[in-house]
Amino acid sequence: MASMKDIKLRIKSVQSTMQITRAMKLVASSRLRRAQQRVTESRPYHETLSATLSDIANSNSDFTSMYMQKREIKKKLYIVFAGDRGLAGGYNSNMFRMIEAETKGESCCFLPVGKKALEYFTKRGREVVTDAFPLVGEISVSDCFEMARIVCKGYVNGDYDEIHVAGTVFKSVMSQIPVTTQLLPFTPKQVEGHREVILYEPGSAETFNAIIPEYIAGMIYSVMCESSASEQGARRMAMENATNNASDMLDTLSLHYNRARQAAITQEITEIVSGAAGSEG
Amino acid sequence: MATPFHLQIVTPDGSEFDGQAVRIIVRTIAGDVCVMARHTNYCTALGMGEAKVTMEDGSVRTAACMGGMLNVMDGKVRVIATTWEWKDQIDFARAQKAKEAAEKRLAEKNKLSDKEIALAEAKLKRALVRSNVASR
Repeated sequence: MASMKDIKLRIKSVQSTMQITRAMKLVASSRLRRAQQRVTESRPYHETLSATLSDIANSNSDFTSMYMQKREIKKKLYIVFAGDRGLAGGYNSNMFRMIEAETKGESCCFLPVGKKALEYFTKRGREVVTDAFPLVGEISVSDCFEMARIVCKGYVNGDYDEIHVAGTVFKSVMSQIPVTTQLLPFTPKQVEGHREVILYEPGSAETFNAIIPEYIAGMIYSVMCESSASEQGARRMAMENATNNASDMLDTLSLHYNRARQAAITQEITEIVSGAAGSEG
Repeated sequence: MATPFHLQIVTPDGSEFDGQAVRIIVRTIAGDVCVMARHTNYCTALGMGEAKVTMEDGSVRTAACMGGMLNVMDGKVRVIATTWEWKDQIDFARAQKAKEAAEKRLAEKNKLSDKEIALAEAKLKRALVRSNVASR
């Protein structure tokens, strides 16, 4: 049995770990609340934008845009969102596992967002388009527009023939699912039946081409919001579990400690009693 | 009294306006347009400029509007803007400062790369739109 001192040390270390995990849990919960609020705020923008774009694409079959044409896939671009820090349960590793499964045997390049994503791809020697977005926590709306500008330019130049964005969907605090969404070429949802007649100015193709970068930026932004909410959710869950485990451990350890203390006292009494008996006899 | 229509203005940062209006004027990539009630289904991309919304009670609110699109569908008008700042939200001093900083940067044009010039020009344009709207 471990000595009382050993157990005491262990209790101390578990206690301080628990303090840290509890603090991280609290921080993650408050960040999660903010991130969820941002998701709700950006949702109407994103929904209206994609609905409108589908309307345009569906109502006009008489124009071709370079953003809609499917070409031979030589190379794909993945915009990958991961966290800046670890200790978020399976958040980062789930994302990378999905990316590995998805890109297996294909020629791909990546635009990593977040420190973990950047580290992951550079360490593995994958082709990285730009490392200008190392911190996902500091990405603003204008950064998303910058990203959209970069990928649209690359797409028009033919550097890559398909653009996907990989982020984590926030289902609930308990479950976050990594998914990829195709951005370009743009594939509208097919609508059955009637088609709306819409007037475009200056022209449907021009309007469409002006809106596409906007749409991509909007998509990237909404994926970013969802992902950061997911990260905080995953971290909150992980830290909650860690705190619970730590308190379980503390219970067992203090039981052991008390047992060891009791044993020491019993032993001391036995020693005294036998000593007294010896001197009497 | 003009007939009101339903107007919705959304940006990535949230919904800016959702309610009835009688008229909206925005700057598109091809010039200013004015939309009133019973407009045909319509879609255009927005440029940078001043936007004016006339409310039901006849009051006019101005805003700085940059990028995005305007969409009219079944009588409902949706403005999906990159940035939309009502006049009272604009920080005039900040816009002025940004304008001066951008002008200063552009003064040394030959030292900058094309990308930096484009960035500074975009900044200047934004600052100009903002201060124009705010100072009126």
